[in-house]
Amino acid sequence: MEVLGVFDNLESAATAVDNLLEAGVAEAKITTLSSVPYPDGVLVKSEGKPRFYLFTLVLGACGALAGFSLAAGTAWLYPLQTGDKPIISIFPVGIITYELMMLFAIVGTLIGMLWGMGLPDFKPKPYAMEIANGAIGILIDAENPAEIERSMQCLQRSGAQKLCTEEETS
Amino acid sequence: MSTQDKPYSAARMNDAMLSSMQPPTIRWFLLAFILGAIVAVGLYAFTVQLTTGMVVTGINRPVMWGLYIISFVFWVGLSHSGTMVSAILRLSQASWRRPILRGAEAMTVFSIAVAGLFPLIHLGRNWIFYYLIPYPSQYGLWPNFRSPLLFDMVAINTYIIGSGIFLYIGMLPDLAVVRDRSSGFRKQIYSLLALGWRGTAEQWRVFSRGSTLLACLIIPVAVSVHSIVAWDFAVTLVPGWHSTIFAPYFVIGAITSGVAAVITLMIVIRKVFKLEEFLLPLHFDNMSKLLLAVCLLWSYFYFAEVFTTWYGHKPIEWEWFSYMHDHYGIALFIMILGNTIVPIIGLCFRSVRRSMPALLVITLLVNVAMFIERFLIVVPSLSHKNIPFAWGSYTPSWVELAIALAAFALFFLLYTLFAKFFPILAVTDVREQEEALIGQQRLGRTQVETLVNEE
Repeated sequence: MEVLGVFDNLESAATAVDNLLEAGVAEAKITTLSSVPYPDGVLVKSEGKPRFYLFTLVLGACGALAGFSLAAGTAWLYPLQTGDKPIISIFPVGIITYELMMLFAIVGTLIGMLWGMGLPDFKPKPYAMEIANGAIGILIDAENPAEIERSMQCLQRSGAQKLCTEEETS
Repeated sequence: MSTQDKPYSAARMNDAMLSSMQPPTIRWFLLAFILGAIVAVGLYAFTVQLTTGMVVTGINRPVMWGLYIISFVFWVGLSHSGTMVSAILRLSQASWRRPILRGAEAMTVFSIAVAGLFPLIHLGRNWIFYYLIPYPSQYGLWPNFRSPLLFDMVAINTYIIGSGIFLYIGMLPDLAVVRDRSSGFRKQIYSLLALGWRGTAEQWRVFSRGSTLLACLIIPVAVSVHSIVAWDFAVTLVPGWHSTIFAPYFVIGAITSGVAAVITLMIVIRKVFKLEEFLLPLHFDNMSKLLLAVCLLWSYFYFAEVFTTWYGHKPIEWEWFSYMHDHYGIALFIMILGNTIVPIIGLCFRSVRRSMPALLVITLLVNVAMFIERFLIVVPSLSHKNIPFAWGSYTPSWVELAIALAAFALFFLLYTLFAKFFPILAVTDVREQEEALIGQQRLGRTQVETLVNEE
């Protein structure tokens, strides 16, 4: 279950993260909600590398294959003889292969980004409208009632303007 | 410096930057109505063409490409700068790009959409437009994959989809801000568009890296699109077109008209939505330097092209060039004036680069000159091709003029609607820059502001 504390500035949010870490909450369980990005480590440190690039690579390769099949494959299946020009011409096939490869790679990046960001997600989750106006949310993924209680106390002690849990949101 | 000490609070910045989304005024409705009326006139002209046939246009033998293809090349060119400049500036971490990028990206999407209409309008039998799409045909026809026109269809669709994705993904955090500040039916719409964005650290991390990757992918697509449009011309043996330099020359021309159009739109947006505190003279100064650089490049390419034609004096090439000079001398002069003389001399001066009226005149002149350049590429070459007994000339009909004018109105109408319903400034990008301002440090006898680098 997620617990959210809303802070009106960066410094108090950073203090809250320090207090949570001191209280024994693992950093991997803490994340932030903000309307602008902060460099990694300003509030929490992220782990691992994003894997959405794989979608770009895989779909890019599929696009190249699709482009080649469309241009070369169909020209070969439905030959259109024009003078002594080759049935499969390198430049036109190359251009269509390239364009479809890029199209699929871009679409793949979009899909990968959405997958990496966990979107679309319309389920009710802890959130505060103040975040749009510069407030910072500290979100803790708590596993049991004791951890929820400990996190809420810690956030309150650190000066959270507002507290809410996943239960209250839904 | 704490967040509270910053010169602008986040809420106030949101208010100011989203002011363009206030409920429409009578003047806005009036503008939308006028633009809509011009589009309606264009639709009527198209209906006349549809029911009567291509005979209502000025297109003839040998000038089979007229105002429609000129407009197509112009609008494709205009679409270039938005996404490409935004992507280049993102990759080069030019922080001054932030207030400009949204307007530029939107310009790309709408101008490429308008451009995409022209090949369809030019088709003649418009009702069988789907013949352009390569699929196994029951009519015994199969698209010729060696035709450059098929490259066009594939490339333009790739660019439309890519630019649309680039614009939408970049807008996602701003849509969430709008969602959080709206209510009722609007809130439902923006909630749907924001896809449930909350701004978690992981979402921002993926967003940042993904946007950079998209920027890397979109630049070669942009270059390829205009190269392919250039090859529509260059792969033929028509005098004046069959040139190895045509693709890079087109790309530079496209960037020139695109950068000029971005500056024009930014001046208008700044004035209309009172965004003077975000669109600073510095932004116009930097964009003007970019325009100066591309104008110099365009002039170099044009000189290189004309010089070799003039020096070689190949009869048919010279015939085409003389015809252009004799019949379109004034247009040629305006083109050189607008693309070379005025911008290159004017933009050397800092005072001009920071003067909105002067920049408005220069950037509009650049695009007028660029439209003329498209005309001079298409018409004189087709008028005087290799067979002298088939030489001719071209005058656009009222139908073509009405449709070309309606395209401008459609572009401005789409842009006006976009600016009313979506954030025209990249709100979170601009605020990110403000957040990066972490304090002041004494340097010599003065205090300087210190910034956090994007990395």
